[in-house]
Amino acid sequence: MNGVLHDINIAILVYFLGLNSFYALLLVLSIPEVWAQTRLAEDEDFQRLMQSDALPPISILVPAHNESATIEASVTAILTLEYRTFEVVVVNDGSKDATLDQLRQAFDLYEVPRTYPETLPTKPLRGVYRSRTRTRLLVVDKENGGKADSLNAAINASRFPLVIAVDADTLIEPDALLRLTRPFLLGRRIAAVGGTIRVANGCTVKDGRVTDARVPRRFLPGIQVVEYLRAFLFGRLGWNRLGGSLIISGAFGLFRKEYLHAIGGYRTTSVVEDLDLVVRLHRYLRQRKIDYVIPFVPDPVAWTEVPESARILSRQRERWHRGLIAAMWLYKGMLFNPRYGRVGLLAMPFFTFGEMLAPVVEVGGYVGTLLGVALHAIDLPFALLFLLVAWGYGMLLSLWAVVLEEVSFRRYGRVGDLVRLLGYATFETFGYRQLTVWWRLKAFLGLWTRRHAWGEMTRKGFDAPGKQVVG
Amino acid sequence: MTSRQLLVIVALGQGAVLVGLIVLIIVHRWIRRRRSAVLTPRRAELDVVMQRWTLGQCGSDDVLRALARLPASLAIEALVTWSARVASERWQELSRALEHQWWPRLVRANSRSARWWKRLECARFLSLAATQHDIGRVLRLLRDTHPAVQLAAATTLERVGSPVLVAAALDQLPFLGPTVQAYYASVLKRARPAVVRHLLQLFRRLDDPRLSRIIEFAGRLHEPVLRAGFTTLATHRDAEVRTQVARALGKFPHAESVAALGCLVQDESWPVRAQAVRSLGMIADPTTLPLVRAALQDAEWWVRLRAGLALARFGAPGRNALLQAEVGPDAASRDLARLVLGLSAQALMEYAA
Repeated sequence: MNGVLHDINIAILVYFLGLNSFYALLLVLSIPEVWAQTRLAEDEDFQRLMQSDALPPISILVPAHNESATIEASVTAILTLEYRTFEVVVVNDGSKDATLDQLRQAFDLYEVPRTYPETLPTKPLRGVYRSRTRTRLLVVDKENGGKADSLNAAINASRFPLVIAVDADTLIEPDALLRLTRPFLLGRRIAAVGGTIRVANGCTVKDGRVTDARVPRRFLPGIQVVEYLRAFLFGRLGWNRLGGSLIISGAFGLFRKEYLHAIGGYRTTSVVEDLDLVVRLHRYLRQRKIDYVIPFVPDPVAWTEVPESARILSRQRERWHRGLIAAMWLYKGMLFNPRYGRVGLLAMPFFTFGEMLAPVVEVGGYVGTLLGVALHAIDLPFALLFLLVAWGYGMLLSLWAVVLEEVSFRRYGRVGDLVRLLGYATFETFGYRQLTVWWRLKAFLGLWTRRHAWGEMTRKGFDAPGKQVVG
Repeated sequence: MTSRQLLVIVALGQGAVLVGLIVLIIVHRWIRRRRSAVLTPRRAELDVVMQRWTLGQCGSDDVLRALARLPASLAIEALVTWSARVASERWQELSRALEHQWWPRLVRANSRSARWWKRLECARFLSLAATQHDIGRVLRLLRDTHPAVQLAAATTLERVGSPVLVAAALDQLPFLGPTVQAYYASVLKRARPAVVRHLLQLFRRLDDPRLSRIIEFAGRLHEPVLRAGFTTLATHRDAEVRTQVARALGKFPHAESVAALGCLVQDESWPVRAQAVRSLGMIADPTTLPLVRAALQDAEWWVRLRAGLALARFGAPGRNALLQAEVGPDAASRDLARLVLGLSAQALMEYAA
């Protein structure tokens, strides 16, 4: 028994070393990437760009389901973005609340005939509306079919070659579109571009814009600020250098529409549609040997409200992990397949073994260590030391994300915010990390029992005109 | 070494790095604040001097002194801000004066730097203050390996209308993405004579696979001298070339353009037909109304939409055609006519863009 426990613990140690070495690699790669991106962001001449007709026209797709609390403010903010040519396609996905009525009243909608071809299959449409006051706005009303189905309906209705999927509760910074299109100005092989999502809780929001960025005082949203910084600032920037990012946030990602059509749009049966879409996009482009990149750009920012209660957060994390498991299973043919280049040899193995299986291994580690201590296979000081080192790695990664934020984009200027960020980065490891492991572990159990639906999220809303502190 | 000793060493290393990171954050913030405290007043002072200089209340020497007190990157940023507000002759005067300053010399020397961000800084500076002496540098930067440097260097063409630079930029054009091409077009407009001469030569290379990109770019210039060249290429065997020709001809209301578009509107390729019908709408020649009306029943949705929007530009006859289609037997034309007739003038303009 002791021998078996010893072997298990050695295996876990090797896994832990391998995974953390890879994280260290991402961390190192994120340094030149953040430097390059900061230089490009600082040198941007937006005035000149806005005056030239070079910028590609963009269709902004906004799926909305029961969003009556935020829809008017969100759409108004999107319509006033700094960009030369764009349209906004809002899809009301069979909302049971007054989402459509709110839109009708706020933007003076009138029904127009449906003239465009419905290339991607969706749930039946109920009507298409244009606005008398905002000519860039198109509203599609359809039967409930989920977020992916709504996005497909929006793609059908859109006119422009680039589409950006934005959640209705997301607040996009005024110059974010200009920044997001930077890769198109720098090359021609772009298949999609991802921007940064930040946590809006605790921030001051005025007229649909974040006017004062703050780190929330409440523990759960506060700790998610660090998580988001870690995921975006060093995770995705590191993957930029490795050329195999699998995630472009569904709340803020720009895609070339021709490719979305080619892969059949969003998969409606997918639990996490954005991950599924990007993996399929990689697969399609690699299979056809099309030269492409899917970069992440850190300076265009969209702010989103994150869950403040453990119950909703647990559901969100479980759903995300369920989506990851489903995608890795569905596209297992790409795993270690040299045909898919770095995506098959690096990204898929990392997401399968490093991300998907991480909670299983971590729980295995805890159980193995406890058993080892109980059966005297491992002595207690050694076990504690091992845990300390394992958690220390987590703290290092979180603190590194804070450092990257501090030396690059510096959204949180106050000393109090910095102290809170450092506090959350330090104490995330104790308690919160174990909770997320448990939530993600539950995803394995719920994989075949849960149906796909819009993730439940109780929102306070950015709401009405004027100033408001979210969260 | 035992595994416990290894873990102790790793833990101690981690602790040291953690403390180091926290110290780094604090020191970085402190340095940034100090720097800001020093530089913000200097930048404000420069703005005041610039304001006075633009009003003719002080000489360029004062501006040069204020610029020299800022780091190069901040000075360039200030120049970017002010370049749009100052008259061209005054700005050229400042550009010439800057040639003899020490910091612009350092920035210019960076055109050969191994670090791309230094070259980018140089290209940005030259896009604001290049003179005829900088042609060699700009040429090198135009051919740079980093696209951001190329793009910044291309902006210099607005200020230095050299045929050598124009030829270099045009040679690169077909290899650039559509967005970058459009950007080049906007900056090359000022160097029009040299650009047009070069383009007319390129138009003769009928077998050049880059021809469609060249025509796309040429169309953006709205240059009447090029119209005959476009018309000649209306029968080119490559559908992409014909599409770009159809797009370009809409900007030239001329009998030959109308005749060429009349053929292109019946092309076998639908993107050509869509562009042709759009261009016919832009010209709005009454004799072409039947062609546009017929396109309303095209098998391809995109052509029908373009036809509907084009009819709206024909004034009363076009509106009548749409009203007839609205009650006509063809369901697709009916819906489209309803859509177009329901659009406000501003919506029509945006929709047709």
